[in-house]
Amino acid sequence: MEYLIHIAILVCIYGILGLSLNLVIGEAGLLNVTQAAFYGMGAYGAALLITNYDINFFLALLGGIIISAFGSLLIGLVLSRFRGDFYALGSFGFNVIVWSIMLNWQDVTHGPLGIPGIARPALFGFTFSENLTFLILAAVFLALVYGISTFITKSSFGRVLKALREDEEAISVFGYATSYYKLVTFVISASLAAIAGALFASYITFIDPSSFSLNESIFLLSIVILGGLGSSRGAVMGALFLIVLPEALRFVGFPPDVAAQMRQMVYGLILILLMLYRPQGLMGTFRM
Amino acid sequence: MDIVVQILLNAVIAGAIYSLLALGFNLIYSTARFFDLGYGALTAVGGYSVFFLYKILGLPLIPSIIFGMIMAGILGWGVSELVYRPLRARKASNTVLLVAALGVLTVIQAGIAILFTSQFQTLSRYVAEQQTYTILGGVITQTQVLILAAGLIIMVLLGVVLKYTRVGKAVRAVADDEEVATIVGINAQRIMGGVFFVGSMIGGLAGISVGFDTGIQPTMGLALLLKGVIAAIIGGIGNVWGGVIGAFVLALVENLGAWQFSGEWKDAIAFLVLILFLLFRPKGILGK
Repeated sequence: MEYLIHIAILVCIYGILGLSLNLVIGEAGLLNVTQAAFYGMGAYGAALLITNYDINFFLALLGGIIISAFGSLLIGLVLSRFRGDFYALGSFGFNVIVWSIMLNWQDVTHGPLGIPGIARPALFGFTFSENLTFLILAAVFLALVYGISTFITKSSFGRVLKALREDEEAISVFGYATSYYKLVTFVISASLAAIAGALFASYITFIDPSSFSLNESIFLLSIVILGGLGSSRGAVMGALFLIVLPEALRFVGFPPDVAAQMRQMVYGLILILLMLYRPQGLMGTFRM
Repeated sequence: MDIVVQILLNAVIAGAIYSLLALGFNLIYSTARFFDLGYGALTAVGGYSVFFLYKILGLPLIPSIIFGMIMAGILGWGVSELVYRPLRARKASNTVLLVAALGVLTVIQAGIAILFTSQFQTLSRYVAEQQTYTILGGVITQTQVLILAAGLIIMVLLGVVLKYTRVGKAVRAVADDEEVATIVGINAQRIMGGVFFVGSMIGGLAGISVGFDTGIQPTMGLALLLKGVIAAIIGGIGNVWGGVIGAFVLALVENLGAWQFSGEWKDAIAFLVLILFLLFRPKGILGK
């Protein structure tokens, strides 16, 4: 039972990440491979505030969001000048740079040693120390982020994004400042990812840079692509599928090292087969 | 003084390896016109083939290296036929190809890790007896001299073949416009296959060189690939000589940076250089 709760919490966290990334890739059509950096900024921001200043989780979460929003604003300003393949490559680059900072700015982040002893969230004297209560909290946040992302996609802002994704030139002819729309979406998406980061940090109670590497961004990309671009439900389904499937592989009985590699192999095969036979993913509305 | 010479030497050696990476990548990119991330994993295929033949089976060195390159070439060709060709045939966007290539990278990496474990391995049999030369107080090993020579030979060969031979002209024609090339009677599919084969062979050799210089790991590919891509972009993408110049510039900046700050920042510095180039000179040093 504990195990199932653990999986469910991970699905919630990755569901939030999937939703946040879907806004940028699925709705605005920007192939962003930096999401793990913003996830990490949220996690580090919250973790540092909690461990150094003993701040309440919910305030620290806000701090993490602000740090991530600020970071994404700077990165987004640069990235908005690139297009197509170069956009993807530039975003790769920013993930590596942010990750290097987490790894090497040892005075603040403790480098590869990570930050231990992050407290679980507490509200009005109630601590979410049981995994079951934490699951409820994570699910509430997932619902919240789901609500925000459907609100954005259904709003007039979301319609501009869809138009931008289909034909950037046409929409700019109508007088929409496309780079402004891209940047705002990028920052919103990073802020939402920071929520997942803070949840992850206080759930595991320990973070180190290895959770926020380029490979993590690639994993998040597979979630969104599998679920289907431009679909909020798809993003959550993708997270559910890619978290649960490897856990099922665990019971087939490979040794742990091989099992981890099998998992990677399955992710890779899923990406290849999807691109070959169903590029819009399971329930996507947008074909890249 | 000694330290400056050593840094220059290190930069020259790193530059030679990056040149190989950039040459293979450039060849594939300028013909197929997408970021073939799977190319990264082929460096590991080359490295591990030599590891298996030379170190485990105990075959002689030169046949092992040649066979390793051929293995990488065949795999690169096979992936192109099985995955990229059907995608190109239905005019899939670059993003789709990029994501499929990401899947290829993940699958090959995981496959190697399952076969050979994910441990770090070296290729040399007798590490202690490595012959070294001293130039102006800096040290360079025999292996490194050979890598440098191989890099220069392949650069000249590729440059000459592309410029002066019939095959080279056909490759350039396909790179310019696949449809028109087909109309004038060039078998574009065969040229494309050949380009993937040769490009992957060069990538395999780069992986083998890294293996003899430092060591190999299943996940080595992504980092190496990105170095090759950065070198190619700095130099001017699609330009054989530009890639080599870019490789040496990148290696020099990286090594100077590592000397000034610390070795851990190397990757971040490489990407910073990339982003600066993309912002201010996206055509690269020799770009048209």
